[in-house]
Amino acid sequence: MKTQTETVAERGLPSFLISKHGLFIFLCLLPALLLVTVFIYYPLFKGVIMAFQNYSLFDLTNINFIGLENFKTVMAESGFKESLINSFYWVFFSLIPQFVIGFIVALLLRRKFRGRGIYQAFIFFPWAMSGFLIGLIWRWMLNGQSGVINDLLLKLHLIDSAIPFLSDPNWAMVSVIVANVWYGITFFAIMILAALQSIPDELFEAAKIDGANYVQQLFKITIPYIMPTLIVTTLLRVIWILNFPDLIYSLTNGGPAGSTHILSTFMLEKIIFGQNYGQAAAVGVIMIFLLLFFSIFYVLATKFNKAGDF
Amino acid sequence: MHHLKKGFLLLVLMMVFMGLIAGCSSSDAGTKEKDGKVTLRMVESITSPARTKLLKEMLKKFEDENPTIKVELISPPLKSADEKISQMLMAKEDIDVLEVREQTVKNFSNNKFIEDLSPYTSKWENWNTLTETIKHGATAIDNKPYYIPYGVYEKTLFYRKDWFEAAGLAAPKTWDDLVAAAIKLTDPSKNRYGYSFRGGAGSPDYIEFMTWSYLGKQIAQKDAYFTQDGKVMFETPEAGKVLDTFVKLYKEASPPDSISWSYPEMVQGFTSGMTAMLIQDPEVIVTAEENMEKGTWATAPLPKGTPSGVAQQPAGTAGWGIGAFSKHKEEAWKLVSFLSSPEQNLFFAKNNSLIPIHLSAGDDPYFKEGYFSSYIEMNAKPEEFLIADRPVEYKGYAEYRSLAEKDIQALLLGKESKEDVLSKWTDFWKKEKENKK
Amino acid sequence: MGRQINWRLLFKVIFLSLFLVFTVFPLYWIFITSLKPGKDMFTFPIHYWPETITFDNYINIFKISSFNIYIVNSLILSIVAGFFSLIIALLSGYVLARFEFKGKTQVIFAFFITQMIPIFIGLAPLYLLMSKLQLLNKLPSLMLMYTVMMIPFCTVIMKGFFERIPSSLEEAAMIDGCSRITALFKVIIPVMLPGIAATFIFAFVQCWNELFLAIMFIDKEEAKTIPVAMNSFITKFDIDWGAMSAATVLSVIPTLILFAFAQKYIVEGMTQGSVKG
Repeated sequence: MKTQTETVAERGLPSFLISKHGLFIFLCLLPALLLVTVFIYYPLFKGVIMAFQNYSLFDLTNINFIGLENFKTVMAESGFKESLINSFYWVFFSLIPQFVIGFIVALLLRRKFRGRGIYQAFIFFPWAMSGFLIGLIWRWMLNGQSGVINDLLLKLHLIDSAIPFLSDPNWAMVSVIVANVWYGITFFAIMILAALQSIPDELFEAAKIDGANYVQQLFKITIPYIMPTLIVTTLLRVIWILNFPDLIYSLTNGGPAGSTHILSTFMLEKIIFGQNYGQAAAVGVIMIFLLLFFSIFYVLATKFNKAGDF
Repeated sequence: MHHLKKGFLLLVLMMVFMGLIAGCSSSDAGTKEKDGKVTLRMVESITSPARTKLLKEMLKKFEDENPTIKVELISPPLKSADEKISQMLMAKEDIDVLEVREQTVKNFSNNKFIEDLSPYTSKWENWNTLTETIKHGATAIDNKPYYIPYGVYEKTLFYRKDWFEAAGLAAPKTWDDLVAAAIKLTDPSKNRYGYSFRGGAGSPDYIEFMTWSYLGKQIAQKDAYFTQDGKVMFETPEAGKVLDTFVKLYKEASPPDSISWSYPEMVQGFTSGMTAMLIQDPEVIVTAEENMEKGTWATAPLPKGTPSGVAQQPAGTAGWGIGAFSKHKEEAWKLVSFLSSPEQNLFFAKNNSLIPIHLSAGDDPYFKEGYFSSYIEMNAKPEEFLIADRPVEYKGYAEYRSLAEKDIQALLLGKESKEDVLSKWTDFWKKEKENKK
Repeated sequence: MGRQINWRLLFKVIFLSLFLVFTVFPLYWIFITSLKPGKDMFTFPIHYWPETITFDNYINIFKISSFNIYIVNSLILSIVAGFFSLIIALLSGYVLARFEFKGKTQVIFAFFITQMIPIFIGLAPLYLLMSKLQLLNKLPSLMLMYTVMMIPFCTVIMKGFFERIPSSLEEAAMIDGCSRITALFKVIIPVMLPGIAATFIFAFVQCWNELFLAIMFIDKEEAKTIPVAMNSFITKFDIDWGAMSAATVLSVIPTLILFAFAQKYIVEGMTQGSVKG
């Protein structure tokens, strides 16, 4: 909150202005808060209640509070543990390549060159597709018997026999992650590119005069300057990636043998196959807690108090 | 003064927004009768663009015959359809006619989402011309007709006649024949495999009917996951044989990717010329007719188990029921009975490639000859081709299916042993039985 | 010095080219698939250029579904929802950036938490709520849902933009006699136009692609959206890859056009919000 108080102080707004604007503030926030409360928090609240009930479609006529029973049942399932571990892999190995490649792309696009506009328009396009569709498309391409990716790799003599992308548990995880990386690089690239362009050129010129080489510039100027963006973007992505069942759902549906289930697909399965809303809600509550703890830890670890803003 | 202006502006903005929503919502609320017309809301579940078109055609006929009734058809995408129907019923929406499936009927009746149709069927002239399978399916839960099926989903064997002839093979009669033939026809270098395996969603169905086939009449009549002497069907030696056959079929005669295949991929594998055999519902007939050359493929009765010498499978049904919160139940029944009339059902079954529900359809040449003949053959030998009921009245059946799906894949990958899997399932069903008491 | 630059240029060219191939290949492949007749779709060996080009798949999707209606629905829906979330976020973002008040941290926190909520946890209660409010099965209620969905993210993005614009700008205008709202619309918004454009595009794309809410809340044919229609090409026993690929190509076109025109603004816009963003 430090920056905030500073800017307010800079503006030198007298304190009475603040109370004077009470109504204005209230009215401006009202639509957003009202809508979010009614259509996001109210259903969430109801959903969290379900986590403590035997809310199953099999028999809705007899719904009771059953304490932590849903949590106990869910956590005892081997599928839950596997999804939890997979979630870490999924988030970590999706995030790192997205970040690194996105960063490099952004660095390379920082300076204007001919055709940059068209190039940008093209590389933005994965962002224009839905997760469900991306899953389907990659399933189409990764098919072990007649998929185009295997065919390409074979033709380029990179492999001797078709890779069982979707039938081998390890490859399946690699496959969903590659698809997710493909989808997510764009977001990083846009955010980082934007941050890079906000760096004043004078900073680089000064560094050049000091004789700093590219790598030194990168670590001394570029990265520190865009640090806030990197931190916020990364946190957002972690949350979004964990909460992103669409792609896995349509690419592998969690299989084979649950090897690509993450918490959010595990939860989806509880609803669609098990029709057990109570247990699904319990998984959801666990996810929210995990993300909350992670966010707090992350904010503390990066000592980035502004991250609390998002 | 400024504040007032600002506040006013904001309020106006919000009111416009809210008004837009509210205004549009009041315009066409519900199924209110307008000038004496009744609008029925009908939801389908097993949707496809082609079937929706077909249904609309039939509804048009219905509307022409009943000028005071209008039908609004709701067709959610297949994957979320049942979930959506449940959601609608949970919200007590006045759905008039809905597609009820074997898998959903128990939930719906438990929750009093659907009407018991007996007051209507008792007066229905066509009830008695329904086949036994259909009557049985309609009244499977609580002995009450909760829905009128529109057809039967029974599996049959599809095979590549040309490949079989070229290899000097006859259509397999037993699972052992099938595995042997499948292995013989497999040649990965040509991207050709013996069998369209199902390792993905729905795979427990295959374990189910294979185990039933191997166990034959040992299966308890009314409680098909248990044997007559009260054992879970998975603790029999036959269940072990089933899993051995199943794994062998995958490892030696099926595309590696088929570990994640479900219905669409299996069919695609067969119709695209990758696999030689497929065991599926009659719906495949239409797709195969569209995509494959005549004479290259044929159907045959379901392979039998050893040593039982019988094949045994569920007669899956789906059909039309009436929503409990419907305000126009009389009209809804009119629609259901229209759709279930011999004439309309024959039209629907033919175009949707299903086994029709009325006895009279057996005389229709389309079903008597051609690709449906394998079904006629199976029906003609009820001692060899048995029908069993899925344990839908158990609460855990849905959960079992999702668990078993994972276990089956783990088994195929060698991550879990046959014994582990069987004892897991045995324990599961023992517990289910206890909980049910 | 010159040689060093060449190395860097070489790296740049190679890296960007590889990345382009990686990014664009799936689209290319879907495009090619959409031009193949049904029978060639699974033929082996694979053809990287269709032997026979056909537009049947495109014609077909208009035949088997009312795809033209869905396109219009999706367009209206995404534009309206994007617009309203923008307006609402503009107000809340502005207040959160310019004023200090009690409960501000909590408000921001409340917006932040929404990002963590798995959509399915609240879906059943939300359905009941919408049913009680008589808001089911109407395009405008979907607009409302999408607007709500986008508000938190847009608010925070907007807040970042406002924080980078010196408040002296509107204060000067206010001294000239403008009200705060007039100053906001007349002076500040023109300055942050790229940022607004970028936020709008983000919101638009999210709404354009949303599937689950659209399935749940819309029944009637006339109000369906593109993602729902595409999902219905997956049937019990068949995935219609021809229709699916053709629909994919059609559905990507509007967003691609939007990107092509606005990519400058996206980056520029995000630049405004980047540090605080």
